[in-house]
Amino acid sequence: MILAGGRGERLYPLTRDRAKPAVPFGGIYRIIDFTLSNCLHSDIRRIFVLTQYKSTSLHRHIQFGWSILSAPLGEFIEAIPAQQRINEHWYQGTADAIFQNIYTLQQEKPDLVLILSGDHIYKMDYRKMITYHIEKGADLTVGAIRMDRKQSQEFGVIEVDNEWKIIGFQEKPEIPRTIPGDPEGILASMGIYVFKTEILVRRLIEDARSESTHDFGRDIIPAMIGKDRVFAFDFRIGDQGGNGYWRDVGTIDAYFEANMDLVSVTPQLNLYDSQWPILTYQSPNPPAKTVLLEEGRVGTALNSVISNGCIISGGSVIRSILSPRVMIHSYAEVEDSILMEGVDVGRYARVRRSIIDKEVHIPQGMKIGFNLDEDVKRFTVTGSGIVVVPKGIRL
Amino acid sequence: MKKKILVVEDEEGLRLFYEEELKAEGYEVLTARNGREAIERLEKERPDLVILDIVMPVMDGMETLGRILGKDRKIPIILNTSYSGYQQDFMSWAADAYITKSSDLSELKRKIKELLERGRNR
Repeated sequence: MILAGGRGERLYPLTRDRAKPAVPFGGIYRIIDFTLSNCLHSDIRRIFVLTQYKSTSLHRHIQFGWSILSAPLGEFIEAIPAQQRINEHWYQGTADAIFQNIYTLQQEKPDLVLILSGDHIYKMDYRKMITYHIEKGADLTVGAIRMDRKQSQEFGVIEVDNEWKIIGFQEKPEIPRTIPGDPEGILASMGIYVFKTEILVRRLIEDARSESTHDFGRDIIPAMIGKDRVFAFDFRIGDQGGNGYWRDVGTIDAYFEANMDLVSVTPQLNLYDSQWPILTYQSPNPPAKTVLLEEGRVGTALNSVISNGCIISGGSVIRSILSPRVMIHSYAEVEDSILMEGVDVGRYARVRRSIIDKEVHIPQGMKIGFNLDEDVKRFTVTGSGIVVVPKGIRL
Repeated sequence: MKKKILVVEDEEGLRLFYEEELKAEGYEVLTARNGREAIERLEKERPDLVILDIVMPVMDGMETLGRILGKDRKIPIILNTSYSGYQQDFMSWAADAYITKSSDLSELKRKIKELLERGRNR
């Protein structure tokens, strides 16, 4: 069950028209593609994606890109909007999202339920976690990764004994319990859970019938410690990238950095692993093209990721990510930027340290990212000076 | 004050039987013929406990159970059915008790008493 209903408010305006899992990433992907690809490569092929806010774009992506499983074999990826079958509210927390879909779970009656978030970028073999869960005889296993102590207020912080049994859990603490022998490190919950189905259902019901925020991190896990067998699973065992790469991309700055990693010579996130390809949906576009080779008017792209359908016509692109169908006109310059599908950069326009959302047309000669005092009047500008130009804006 | 019990039962004879028996025990008894009526009565009359049949027309007991929890997460609920198989249904675990229907109501009455004494403290 993939939780894909988060608002992603700190990613605004990228999440103005779409849920966070549907936010484009790395030129051709959506954030949820990473979790879905992990599932498929881990032989997990009965998948519900639980959506709620602004889910149209996400539903369409799943329908177009992920209708690839075999229903006759019992496989499916099914996006379920909040059905309000139990009450008329939005999901009140992560645990409530699963509880509200208890009738769906009933139909499947699996032995184990893997609960994932559609918000994170990483490559992981969930089979290793499931094997571990079974070997430990666990009721619940929580995916865990080492993070810096300073980030404790963003995560659920796990405390384990020598056997990796969870003996303490603090949700977003100011003063976290650090890893024994590693005073600068914390063991953070990745929001990945393997449950025995029966225990999951019983704990969800207990939680649903009590005063609670109905959240796995805040309510369910703390209530289970000491009562059930709860273990942490070291992400390094299941990490398919081998270098501990896992990103929440919860803020514009984190999102920008994670994208920019991809234009480096050896990115931390390896998209070239033929054992673990990231699947997605792409509309049919011709290959990317660079044209014009005249004095002072050369179409170039350096240290960049260029998707299909792009035409760089007499302009220059440096350290940038271009989604499909981006058009760069003559004498335009794009640097350190993310340009989403269908963006058009007019002649002599200059774009720097910016994220330009879908279908934005930048008029001839316009500068974005050069004078932040001006940019902030029209666009979102982050603390570190990244300019975000929203979808649909007319310039 | 008399405790209020909502009996949800589609079969008229049984409904009357429960009503009589529970009134004799000193309870105020409300009745509903299906889940939809039950939800309406629950909202208007705030019973202290619900006795819920499962196989009913319009809205069955499992669906109703979820809806009731959506309105009032703490109200004690007894599933009262002729079938034991529904205990396999996850949603049935959300009930406070599961009782197989019988003409002898002593088990049901005992459960009612126990749950009303416990009240809304879970």
